[in-house]
Amino acid sequence: MTAQNLQQMGTTAPLAASSPGGSIYDLGYRHYDGPRRGRSWAMWSLFVESFRSVWGFGRPMTAKAAPFILTGLYALPALFQLAFSSVISQEMTNGSGPQPELLAYHSYFSMFYFLVFFFCVAQAPELVCRDQRYRVLPLYFTRSLGRLEYALARLASLAAALFLVLMVPCVALFIGDILMKPDTFKAIGDELPKALPAFPANGLIALGLAAISLTVSSFSPRRAYSAIALVAYVLLAEAVPAAVFAIGQSSDWSWTDKLFLVMPISSLDGATNWFFGKALQPGRFTGSLTAEEYAIAALISVVLFTTVLLFRYRRVPA
Amino acid sequence: MQATPLTGPAAAPIEAGPLAIELRNVARWYGNVVAVNDVSFGLGPGVTGLLGPNGAGKTTLLHMLAGFLAPSAGEVLVLGRSPHRDPGVYRQIGLVPEREAVYAFLTGLEYVRFNARLQGLRDADGAALDAIRRVGLEDAMDRPIGTYSKGMRQRAKVAGALVHDPQVLLLDEPFNGMDPRQRIAMMDLLGQMAEAGRTILFSSHILEEVERVGTQILVMVAGRLAASGDFHAIRALMTDRPHMITIRSSDDRKLAAALMTNPAVFAVELTPDGCSVQTAQLGAFRRLIAGASRTAGVRITEVFSEDESLEKVFEYLVRR
Amino acid sequence: MASFVAFSEIVGITLRQLMGRRRTVWLLLLAALPVLLAVLFRAAGRTEIDSYSRIVFDTIAITILMPLVAILFGSGAFGAEIDDGTIVYLLAKPVPRWLVVLAKAISVMAVSIALAGGSTALAGAIELGPIGEDGLKAAAAQVLGVVVGSVCYASLFLAVSLFTRRALVIGVGYMLVWEGALSFMLPGIANLSIRQYALGAANAIYPLPVQESRLSSDTAFILAAVLVAVTLALAVWRLMRFELPGGSD
Repeated sequence: MTAQNLQQMGTTAPLAASSPGGSIYDLGYRHYDGPRRGRSWAMWSLFVESFRSVWGFGRPMTAKAAPFILTGLYALPALFQLAFSSVISQEMTNGSGPQPELLAYHSYFSMFYFLVFFFCVAQAPELVCRDQRYRVLPLYFTRSLGRLEYALARLASLAAALFLVLMVPCVALFIGDILMKPDTFKAIGDELPKALPAFPANGLIALGLAAISLTVSSFSPRRAYSAIALVAYVLLAEAVPAAVFAIGQSSDWSWTDKLFLVMPISSLDGATNWFFGKALQPGRFTGSLTAEEYAIAALISVVLFTTVLLFRYRRVPA
Repeated sequence: MQATPLTGPAAAPIEAGPLAIELRNVARWYGNVVAVNDVSFGLGPGVTGLLGPNGAGKTTLLHMLAGFLAPSAGEVLVLGRSPHRDPGVYRQIGLVPEREAVYAFLTGLEYVRFNARLQGLRDADGAALDAIRRVGLEDAMDRPIGTYSKGMRQRAKVAGALVHDPQVLLLDEPFNGMDPRQRIAMMDLLGQMAEAGRTILFSSHILEEVERVGTQILVMVAGRLAASGDFHAIRALMTDRPHMITIRSSDDRKLAAALMTNPAVFAVELTPDGCSVQTAQLGAFRRLIAGASRTAGVRITEVFSEDESLEKVFEYLVRR
Repeated sequence: MASFVAFSEIVGITLRQLMGRRRTVWLLLLAALPVLLAVLFRAAGRTEIDSYSRIVFDTIAITILMPLVAILFGSGAFGAEIDDGTIVYLLAKPVPRWLVVLAKAISVMAVSIALAGGSTALAGAIELGPIGEDGLKAAAAQVLGVVVGSVCYASLFLAVSLFTRRALVIGVGYMLVWEGALSFMLPGIANLSIRQYALGAANAIYPLPVQESRLSSDTAFILAAVLVAVTLALAVWRLMRFELPGGSD
């Protein structure tokens, strides 16, 4: 058909180029010559997008259920204590003795860690598996975002989300502690130094869990397999050293408690105690390791898993 | 939308004889989205093309026929029974789904044999080999399906669906990924089955596929049946759209001048191909053109209709 | 006859589906852990029913290995077919739905029992075999526990996978939260805990010295049977109403 026919049929676009054989229409697209933001902006964008998707924003309600319910459940005991703190403080002023510390900053994670871990199991595969399954990684890597930046942005977003999850009960405990005291300003001054280690401690927990979860998840394009691999790894890395230690106890295998350093949850728990300057409770921790050693182990595991993650993303087929 | 006489609740069966497939006022919605809206038709033996752009509701319709979806309203009957929740009906239905997924670890022959055995065929191995031969997959039948090309996979799926020689064969986009030669072979196969009295309904959004196999078509647009019946008959019914006819003659310019005066003619245009005429009344125009050329003293060498292709019909129905 | 052919065909397909090459390697590594720990027990010069039952059987075999394997297979038997769309080929056949569910369930149970039960049996034979009759009884009890647990987990998550596409994550959540944490905090959960069914069933052969085993063997068998019957019936009910999405169409 000739250009003349096309115009009669209602095509109104102006001609950009024309020859007797064919025409190119000017549809108004323009070339962009302006300044472009670089890699750091791309990373930031991916970080924000990932953070939103961890919480299910921009996705249907069903995607929001798991993260919000788990966050709520994790904070629930602390919120209970907050809700009843007024009752408790009245009891105290009536002089019925000192209030036993049920929930404390340094031991909260070790009591309810399974909910935070389940948060990782549910959400970490969401972040990395879809992109591999539906083969959209090339779409990222052909932009100004590199492979390493991609991995780091995803990692940072999961860590940030986990940090938020971990901090909610700490804030609730803090408010509860203050409300129990008669003089609020004095109470803030007293309580704040006790609560502040929660920032570095929860930061390390968030980083440690994010690094393990994302690294294990990144090895399978299927969410289901990633999730089960993550659970298998963490549960066994906790259980097997404990079993080996228990087996070796009657013999003179003194080295077996060094295996505790590979326990992902326990080393983060031990590190938390170190940040708060608490001694390790003998019921929870066996063996001769100190809180300091657990803290170092936790740090090393963050570095190690992040390195593996970056290596994985150097090779992952795009 | 104006209903053509063939659509709507009162639609007549496309062919005479016992109906293998019957839909009465069928609708299906998902929440607030209506996928299929008040569709009625009946099909007897033969090949019928189910046409429509993406999202028209073709797959939903086929899934209802295959018993994998219950209609939200209306009645779906295959060989006189409702296929939903009635596995026994699959003895008479063969289904080729759109999704490419197959058991990648099975070889082609194993896959077809799997179908034959689940159909309860007595000579499953023989039937499987026979079906493999019918789709021309003998050379690759001992390789895992995971190694197949798209077209081979498609043929394996078809072999699996016709291994029990079903009365009704439903195919969702069966020609996807086939090369032209395989396409023709597959169309021939469907044609043979139709001649043997089978009812075949296949969906497509590529028109040349339909044009070649079936002259019977059902056109779906936005969940509704926009047209059904013989393709040429449907074209003739679309009276409100001007027909475009091109005429070659000894003197196009003179002929154009003569036609201009005729009330049946909307517009005349001279093109390098000849004299292009737009008219609303095809029959009247065909009768008058002989007289007009004689009075003008022009000899007509060729008359052809530019937009009788299905593509045009389709475009027209979709745009409306 | 025809239904037996269909049954064995579905079992065959399901077994091949579940035993993908790479996955089997990982699962065999997982199953090797109890065996390695049993070897370690022997290397430490210890052959004890008590500590072995607690350290290896309770904390690893029945709390981690058995649930993981059965959840993976149970949720995958239908789940993978629904994800991939191959379920159509299975369901567009004149095969009664209960037969499809039964074939899938039996395949899943067989694979889970082979893996988790086999690992438990081998580890038990290594560590408890030398003890004599009591040791063999304890080992048999452990295998029975794993078998009962696998059957329960497999049928539960076979059913769950027909209701939601995230059956595996739900299974993992059940295992972590319900079986892992809540059943320690709330003893009343024992009647609704697969782990308790498994431990209770084991008691029928030998009273394993495992902490907080709360059910008698009779109760455990009955509850396990009810669980399997109800979940498989639900699976059949759901499969009869199975609907495919309209597709990208």
